[in-house]
Order: sequence, then structure tokens, then C-alpha cells
Amino acid sequence: MPAVQLFATCLGDLAFPEAVTDAEALLRRAGYEVVFPRRQVCCGQPAFNSGHHAAARRVAKSFVRAFSRELPVVVPSGSCATMASHYLPELVGVEPFEVWELSAFLVHAGFRPLPRNAGRRIAYHDSCHMLRELHISREPRRLLGGSGAELVPFARADLCCGFGGTFSVRQPEVSLAMADDKLAGAGGATIVTSDPGCLMHLRGRSEKVGGPGVVHLATALERGVRG
Amino acid sequence: MADLAQPAPRFREIASGKLGDARIQGALDEATDRLMTNRIAAWAGLPGVEELRQRAHEIRMEVIDDLDGHVARFTDALEDRGGHVYFARTADEASAYIADVCRKRGAKLAAKSKSMASEEIGLNAALEAVGVTPVETDLGEYILQLAGEHPVHIVAPAIEKTAGQVAELLSAVGGKWVPPELEALTNAARTQLRETFLEADVGITGANFGVSETGSVCLVTNEGNARLVSSLPPVHVAIMGMERLVPTTVDLAVLLKLLARSGTGQKITVYTTLLTGPRRPGETDGPEEQHVVILDNGRTKLLRGRYREMLACIRCGACLNVCPVYRKTGGAAYSDVYSGPMGAVLLPLLVGLEQAPSLPHASSLCGACTAACPVKIPLHELLLDLRRDLVAEHVAPWWERLGFTLWSLAWSRPLGYRLSTALARLGQPLAGLLGPGRVWSRGRKLPRFGRRYRDRR
Repeated sequence: MPAVQLFATCLGDLAFPEAVTDAEALLRRAGYEVVFPRRQVCCGQPAFNSGHHAAARRVAKSFVRAFSRELPVVVPSGSCATMASHYLPELVGVEPFEVWELSAFLVHAGFRPLPRNAGRRIAYHDSCHMLRELHISREPRRLLGGSGAELVPFARADLCCGFGGTFSVRQPEVSLAMADDKLAGAGGATIVTSDPGCLMHLRGRSEKVGGPGVVHLATALERGVRG
Repeated sequence: MADLAQPAPRFREIASGKLGDARIQGALDEATDRLMTNRIAAWAGLPGVEELRQRAHEIRMEVIDDLDGHVARFTDALEDRGGHVYFARTADEASAYIADVCRKRGAKLAAKSKSMASEEIGLNAALEAVGVTPVETDLGEYILQLAGEHPVHIVAPAIEKTAGQVAELLSAVGGKWVPPELEALTNAARTQLRETFLEADVGITGANFGVSETGSVCLVTNEGNARLVSSLPPVHVAIMGMERLVPTTVDLAVLLKLLARSGTGQKITVYTTLLTGPRRPGETDGPEEQHVVILDNGRTKLLRGRYREMLACIRCGACLNVCPVYRKTGGAAYSDVYSGPMGAVLLPLLVGLEQAPSLPHASSLCGACTAACPVKIPLHELLLDLRRDLVAEHVAPWWERLGFTLWSLAWSRPLGYRLSTALARLGQPLAGLLGPGRVWSRGRKLPRFGRRYRDRR
């Protein structure tokens, strides 16, 4: 059986362990053995995006120590996949790893999702780095469509949800206004995203104001969205 | 000069004020959405747009690589045609030179067409100080001048104003009521401005581009006001950022193909004017005197090093129109002159990071600006680099540096990660009371840290 290394990401490990469990289950269904390197911590992105390169490098080195170049690294996060593939090698000064964002890997592996979302309305939110740096936008939609969901168009799908890492607390008012626009743009459908950052921000806001459900892609595919 | 310095809390304070104003939010949403949609359609209708963007990038970088040479060629070519070129190192030098041109002609009235460079140097105040009345003739700028405000968008300066507000402003000038309808408003402004065009002693314009080979200044407008301003008064002064040169008219054509499409979605603006020197013997129109003020004002600092690509900017506004932050905050939060992603990059570079420390963080780094830039400036990566400089130059506050250092020391090893996150889990009830957790939880629920994924396997 082929194998992959799962990078849970810090947010996944701490705040959304169910989503990572679902990602693991999906990878198994796709026919892969899932290796979880125990020494993994974080890719260093929070510090990197704030300009603290020394701190980012210190943490990013833990990624280099934890992961092997022998097996693909699969990440249930568009922005951590971007950090690990596009920025981390140069930051630390190492050869690149084979990094895959989860949905891109599943489609590449020919995975066919179970019909968990038959008749359910889903608005898919593109996370920015996944869309503009990894250029992955069709794969998650294809998987959701394959799970039976009715994909409803997001008003201004291109707009950022307002998380932006430390932006969310440096400019909290603007960040919240952006989240509110995003929540309203879903037209009442459940929002699905491939990024724990967007998930934490949008769900945190939606729970506060009574908005739509916000679900990680892995959970949507493995267990289906409610509604 | 205009105050380009933006002290730390300014962005957040002004931005927050705009969020609660439904009228401004609606106007920003409508205008940016329309301009962006138009650009996307215009790009889609342009064969080989990606190659064209690449070519445009190369043309701009070719000029930046040898900017001194281009400035010298432009100067020689224009002086051969009888024009005057003045190289202003600072905003004050530029304003003083223009004020001096006005003084020598005994000028009382200056007609201006839209120029962000003139906003940058605070020219209107400098002219008023020497007894010259500047009148803005771009419709949007005219409205703002009547309101005593500054542009909030580099291409569409008055997008936050409604027809009703414009009608009030124009009615007050003409002394008779103008209905808030587009045609009536335009007619009123046209009537009011006509006298300015005819009576002005000096005409002042910006410069969309200068052509090094020929010494020509290129102006694009949709209202034709730049053409009147540069040809009716006896003196024409153009203010041009030193980086706005292109090598040849062939190169100019490439950039013009992209400028209007990216700014407003037009294939070409209604008026495209190329001016090369003052009126020559035997010609029937054009100014007797022409001056081009080439403005440095901090740009030389950018020439070498990481941020040189920012000098490629052609001020089309495409990055503002796609920016999810600008769309909520409007332009005033950034500065009275430049705004949006291009402003967030350019302003700290012009005035120094310590003078504009919050602007590199006035972005969620979504990258929409980079994707929309016709000359392929990696705007969001430049913002990221500015953030690195904030830390490297010790502009970032000590507590932020301490926080990230402690965090990175803990998270550099799995044991430190496990201990620190176990501690954080214990401290969860307090998370909403302190620091970032407190800010976060004012508008959002904090995620609950339960058993970590790694402990569940």
C-alpha cells in the first residue's frame, strides 16, 4: 500500500482535530497508508507572515526534522501547504519537500467521495493562498460535487474572508466586516473551506452572530454537512 | 507638502469609522466591483494579455534599470523642443519651482487636471500661499476641492460621494439648485469650469507617461480637461514622478493598451494626448511655455534593492478595486494621496517604515492585488518583505518581538509544543481576557482546545 505523511498543522492539531481525523480517513479510503510523523509542530507561517523570520525559521526547522522526502506530505490546509512548499525551503535553506494540499492529492489519487452530501447546499470558500499561489480551485469543488452536494455560487467568491493570520487581531474591525460579507455571500448554504485559518475565523464569527454552518472540506467529505 | 506619514493607530481609527457608514460601504462596494468587473472583461477581450503584461513589466524594469539615463534622454529631447525640465529632489523643491513659474508670469489662476504627484507634493497649498488660486478641473477632483477633501482612489477620486452630495456642492458654487442627476451635474460642472480653462494663467497637469526618446508627455483622461489645461493657458507645467518614463512611443503603446483596460475597463480613454514641447513658430495653439517637473521625493531610495519593482506602478488603480481591505476601508485610512495595496507598499517606502508602521499590516495578504496588477508587481510579497523590515529595523514593538521569540523557542521542539499547548489548554478560560485572545473574542468565538489530534491517534 502506498503511504503519505500527514501534516496536521498546528491549528488542525489543536483546534480542529476532528477535521484532521477526517482527512486521515479520506486518505485511507483513497488507498493510502497514513504516517503521522510524531515530531511535527508547525510550518512557521504565523511568524513568517508577520515578518519575524528568525522565529519562523526556528519553528520551520521542526518541519524539516519531522518530515521525510521519501513520501508525499499531505496537508489539510491550503495556506500551510503554500508555506511548506513555496516559502519554507528558502527560509530554512533546504531542498523542497513533495507537499500536497489534501483536495489536490485526493483528486490526483483518483479518489471518489462517498455520497455524504446528497441534496445539500454548499458554498465553497476559496482560501487565498490555495487559490492564488497553489492555483487549486477546481479540485475541492469536484470532490464536493462528487459527494452529491449542490454547489451554490458564492457572491464575490474571490474575496478574502478577513482572517489573514495576525491581520485578524491587528485590524479586528475590518477583519470582522470582511467575515460578515463572506457569511452573507453564502446565501444560507453551508460554507466549506479547505483552510483551518478561514474555518476558525468564519465559524467563530458565524457562531457569534448566528450565521451559516462552516465546515472543513475533510469533514464535509468524510461525514457530510448538516442541513 | 502633503503629510505622507501615517502614525500607527491612524489606519485602524479611520477604517473603523468607515465601516459603520452604510452609504460609504455601498458606494465602495458598487464602484470597486464595477471597475474590477470591467477590467476583467477588458483583459478577457485582449488577445495575449499575459504576454502583454510580461512585456509591460519588462519595459518598466528596463527604464528603472537605467533611470538616470532615461531622465537625461527625456530632458535632452524636451529641451531640444524648447521645453524646460526641472528635476525636483523633494516635494518642497517641486512646489517652489512651480510657484516660481507662476510668480514670473504674474499668474493668479491655475487650472489643474488630475495629478496624484501634485497631491503628493501638496501643490495646492503651496500655490495658495503665493497668491495663486488652483482650480481642479477633473470632475472628481473638482468635487473634492469644493468639499475640502482629498482623493480616496487614485483613478476615481470621489467614489465615496453620492449624486446628492455632488449636487449640493455644485449648487453652492453656482448659486442655483442643480438636480442630483448625472447630466445636470456634468453640465453644471462644465459651465463652472469653462471660465477657468479660458482665464487660467497657468495650466498644471500630471503625466501618465513620459517618453524618453522624444521628450513627450502623455496624458490620458475621459473628460478632455487635461487637453484644455495643457493647451489653452499660456504656460503648461506637467509634474511627473521620475519613474514614469518609457523608452519609446512603441513601448508607450504597450502600456496604453493596459492602462485604460486595467483602470476602468476601457480599451482606450476618451482622450489620449501626447505633448512635445511648447507651441512652435507657425503653430496656432499650445502653450508659449512648457515645463516638466520630474519628481524624486524619495523614489531614488527604491531604485536599488528589493522594492524597485514598485517603481513599475502605472497608477491604474486595479489593485485598489480588487482589494478586500480597501473595499471596506476606502482610501482615506491609508493616506490623503495613495491608498489600497499600491499605497500600502509605496507610502512606507517614500517616508520610511517608522513613519507608516501600520500600512504593511493593512492587508490580509490575500494576493488579489498581485494577480490584478497589469505590470506584474508582486504587491503582496512586497508587503511581506516590508513586514520583515519592520522587524529587522526594530520598528515592530518589543512585545511583539518578544512574543514571537518565546513562541518560536517553545515550538521549535515537539516537547516544548506539547507543554506549551497543554498549558494553553489549562488556561483556556482566561484566553478571552488577554492580548490577542481578547481582541479575537470581541467579535468571534474562540475555538475550544480539546484533545489534540496527535493524542487521539
